Amino acid sequence: MSVVLRTVLVVRSLPLADPGTPPLRGPLTLLLWLARKQVRVLLVAMLFGVVGFTCSAFQPFFLGRIIDSASASGLDRTTWSWAGLMLGVGLVWIAANAIGHRWDIAAWMQAAFRTSQLVTRTVSRSGHNITKELPTGEVVSSVANDTMRIGEIFGIAAQTIGSIATYGIVVVLMLNQSFTLGLVIALGLPVVAAILALLVKPLQKRQKEQRDAQGRLTTLGADTVSGLRVLRGIGGEKVFTGRYRTQSQKVRQTGVDVAGTQSVLDALQILLPGLFIALVVYLGAVEAIAGRITTGQLVAFYGYASFLSWPVHLLVQSVNVVTKAHVAAGKVIKVLQVVPATGADASTAEMPPADVPLVDETSGVTLRPGRVVALVSADPDESADVAIRMGRFDDAGEVGTPVTLGGVRLAELDKDELRERIVVADATPSLFSGRLAGELDVRDSANAEALLRAMHIADAHDVLDSLPDGIDGEIPEKGRSLSGGQRQRVALARALLTDPEILMLIEPTSAVDAHTEARIAQRLTDWRRGRTTLIVTASPLVLDHVDDVIFLEDGSVVTHGTHRELLDLPTTAEGGREAARYRRVVGRSLDDDLDLELDELLDTANAQEGGTA
Amino acid sequence: MSTGKILPIADAAETWRYTRGLLARHRAPLVVITVANTVAAVAGLVGPLVLGKLVDAVIDGTTVEVARNLVLVAAAAVVLQALITRFAQRRAMVFGETVFADMREEFVETVTALPLSTVETAGTGDLIARTTRDVGRIQNAVRFGVPRLVIAVVTLVLTVVMSMIVSPLVALGMFVGVPVLVTVARWYLKRATPAYQRESAAYARLDGTVTESVEGARTIDALRIGRRRTTRGDEDLHEAFEAELGTLNLRTVLFPGVDFAFMLAPITVLVWGAFLASEGTVTIGMVATVVMYAYQLQGPIWELIFWLDEIQVAATSLSRIIGVRLVPADRTAGDAVPVDEEVRGVDVRYAYRAGTDVLHGIDLDLRVGERLAIVGPSGSGKSTLGRMLAGIHPPTGGTVKVGGVPLVDLPLEDLRKHVALVTQEHHVFVGSLAENLRLAKIDAGDDELMDALRAVDAHGWVESLDDGLATEVGSGGYKLTPAQAQQIALARLVLLDPHTLVLDEATSLLDPRAARHLERSLNAVLEGRTVVAIAHRLHTAHDADRVAVLDGGRITEIGPHDELVAAGGEYAKLWHSWQHE
Repeated sequence: MSVVLRTVLVVRSLPLADPGTPPLRGPLTLLLWLARKQVRVLLVAMLFGVVGFTCSAFQPFFLGRIIDSASASGLDRTTWSWAGLMLGVGLVWIAANAIGHRWDIAAWMQAAFRTSQLVTRTVSRSGHNITKELPTGEVVSSVANDTMRIGEIFGIAAQTIGSIATYGIVVVLMLNQSFTLGLVIALGLPVVAAILALLVKPLQKRQKEQRDAQGRLTTLGADTVSGLRVLRGIGGEKVFTGRYRTQSQKVRQTGVDVAGTQSVLDALQILLPGLFIALVVYLGAVEAIAGRITTGQLVAFYGYASFLSWPVHLLVQSVNVVTKAHVAAGKVIKVLQVVPATGADASTAEMPPADVPLVDETSGVTLRPGRVVALVSADPDESADVAIRMGRFDDAGEVGTPVTLGGVRLAELDKDELRERIVVADATPSLFSGRLAGELDVRDSANAEALLRAMHIADAHDVLDSLPDGIDGEIPEKGRSLSGGQRQRVALARALLTDPEILMLIEPTSAVDAHTEARIAQRLTDWRRGRTTLIVTASPLVLDHVDDVIFLEDGSVVTHGTHRELLDLPTTAEGGREAARYRRVVGRSLDDDLDLELDELLDTANAQEGGTA
Repeated sequence: MSTGKILPIADAAETWRYTRGLLARHRAPLVVITVANTVAAVAGLVGPLVLGKLVDAVIDGTTVEVARNLVLVAAAAVVLQALITRFAQRRAMVFGETVFADMREEFVETVTALPLSTVETAGTGDLIARTTRDVGRIQNAVRFGVPRLVIAVVTLVLTVVMSMIVSPLVALGMFVGVPVLVTVARWYLKRATPAYQRESAAYARLDGTVTESVEGARTIDALRIGRRRTTRGDEDLHEAFEAELGTLNLRTVLFPGVDFAFMLAPITVLVWGAFLASEGTVTIGMVATVVMYAYQLQGPIWELIFWLDEIQVAATSLSRIIGVRLVPADRTAGDAVPVDEEVRGVDVRYAYRAGTDVLHGIDLDLRVGERLAIVGPSGSGKSTLGRMLAGIHPPTGGTVKVGGVPLVDLPLEDLRKHVALVTQEHHVFVGSLAENLRLAKIDAGDDELMDALRAVDAHGWVESLDDGLATEVGSGGYKLTPAQAQQIALARLVLLDPHTLVLDEATSLLDPRAARHLERSLNAVLEGRTVVAIAHRLHTAHDADRVAVLDGGRITEIGPHDELVAAGGEYAKLWHSWQHE
């Protein structure tokens, strides 16, 4: 017994180890696939649904028998036994209802969670294609809302099917007692349900209008709060509350529109079944007066007729749920169809051995093994683009700009292995919430000492101080509690800890103060000395420490050398014009009217250098 | 200093006081919907009554005509109930919408009027959560819960009263389930709130994880942490599963308990009624009527349990929303008027936590029209000093005065005309460019806006936009580059026209090239103003009239750039390494 009880009560643990691979041909295909994947849960839920509803459908039957027995002989054995039967069947109904609800929820959760898993998996491997193809809000909403809507079909299925089965049973019961009445019920109910279902569409349309307006209002509210510091600093609060008020009243108005339709639906749900009951009772009374049925049966008919508002209600509800789920499935498919930006196809080439050069053939930038190099360009975007290209982030977009590792195109290599060897840290890397130590050590390979060393190199000790539990402290969503500079240094430490063969850092110190930048530049270059490293920067504090500087103009390498060499090279020497242009970039201003002053400054600097040498 | 624990949460008494006030303000519509629903509920009681009369009539022998008339009465009652429901339901929903609109508007107004110091220190995370999540959570309770609750209570009371009128004796049988019902409902309601809160927290976490994954898609790819992110999502889903299981288990007790009470009532009424009928005390018709009433009670009772539950959850959100109203003002404006534009800090101290001063008594006179650069390592108190000088925080010791009047004694509108703070945070508000600019000067004409843009070198790109000043920007609109956003922020300052400006690393988050470009436009714009620039790029310091070096909450060096370089201190060291000499 306890085994049986456990079997029917236990809900399978989620999430699943493998959510499977769904077909993405269309919403209906996806929904059917989901149904097939959990057919057992659905069948059990339906079984309980049918049992529960059947038991409750018999309640009016017993009611009629008791009334008859009571009016014939008062509270005698027959009355007691009918009452006992009613109680017994009622208890079965209660149990089936409670257990059935567990299976309904199990079915709902499995469909919703499986779909959520599919979405999170797609997002985790899509690379930047996910943001390129869909707004963030839509992807988040697919997990927050759409998967839930999809689940609801499976949650309501058993109840709906159970109630339809009961509808059949009631019709048979009534046909047995009165052909006319049975016929009225058999035909009347579907008509009532159909009329009510007609209102579902317009209601959904208005509800959607309200949700959209509500969404805009929430955005406006969140936007005001996000910018609150700015707002409070300069004024303009009135403008903003005014705008919020206007949109809020718009939402209210859409709500009033919904109320209009909704109240009609509510009223019809009273009117139609109510008149239907009246009709049944009238016909029943006629039969009873003629002596063809008993008074108890008349009461039972009233009971049946009221009971049948349940199937009607559930049917209307199902129409609502199914249309919403269909739309939701369509939205989820749009997310699931996003193809990963890299590594979508299997690798076609062998991984080259270690210590081979990485070459961007378009610009001519070559990373030789073991060198710490800086990449400088008049346009910081241009040099960042080169580094990103060399990290392979977009197979489709990089077809025309080949990058090779030891002569083999990156796009032909296994992506996972490649990411192990080459790591690029973006100019604006994202931090993720979680325990700091875990978020830093993304390869799960570092010990406490290595963590602290990385934090030291990135000069991020103040972050440890700012978290209550230091390295074990929790970083909130997107690292929100940290300052811009702190976030950048934590991200740098994280990149250093991956300890790859080739490390590329884009503007790693753009948000830190000069004191800190000086320290990081020293420690970073010391730590990576002898290992292939590229730093995209124009900061003299960093350039001073690297082995080699590559200078880029209009997308191509024009010169290279140590920072010192490029600073010292006279304009008249070979490559001197390029060096002069380099000096202009790393100097303090690019603006034309300052160039003269800059040249003078450079000249003075050069003269002093010459003097001391 | 940037944790979100600073905002208060209202206690039960305060929450209740607020709710009472709110309902009192909307008393008239509340009365209307209660009355209308009472009429509708009464009409809904006619059906079983007619059934009982019919049963008695049939037993006593009657004609089809009598039966028809009785049924016609019932049908008329149904029509009446439907008509009134249409009206009452609509009014109830409109009532919910109106009250909720009132609440959220008032809330946003409170938020935008929060004290400057609170806004600066509380961080925006908690406030955003209150604006979106908490407001979202109370919306169901306010929009549907309150009206539904009114209807359920009215229906419940009337049905019981009507049963008593039909036959108080038979009606006694209805109450047999009450002890079970009350016990189970209390057991459930006590546990439901935390369980459902755990559920919504779990889903909020999942949403957060997905948001992070989408926004950090490039980083996930670069660091090859896709599998970690998938695992994180699965962990969140598992927590959601556990939370769902928790509430499911509660319902696995609630449902059979309530169902049992519901089933017990009609059976008891029947058996008890059969006994009474055989004694001749009541008619079978009365029994039939009361049995049907017993069934009709189920709907309102379920509604009651469901909404009590929702309203409990909403109450915690409500307490967080009302909590924002409890933030005390950090200053009271006096009526002293500054005599000149001189800003002077005397023995300025500040402690985020009592006893640990971040600033240790700083004396600083700003010379009118000078450019003062403040440099120093992270954590030296630069930003805090900047906020004191801009009047954002009242100092915990000493004073900052303008023209002899403490900054924090000035009304906010006036303060902004004297000193303004520009931070590295640049936020583009949802709306048109013009709206973004007019924040600083509501009545500025388009020409004035363009002049301000010209002053910051931004008129070029604004004019090249198809819609010019009317271009919609911010979330969902035209995307501005960080440099453009910063230019808009600067243009606002031009419009605001304060005599003193505090720039807190205003350009630090931009790429170096854009920063240089911006600072140059700043130089032109800020001509004639006193400027305090908290800087981390040394060329800012080089261009300043004076440089103050801050270390450990004290000014260690102050003077013109050349003097400090000549003095050979910390600043000189830094400057030399930057100049690669």
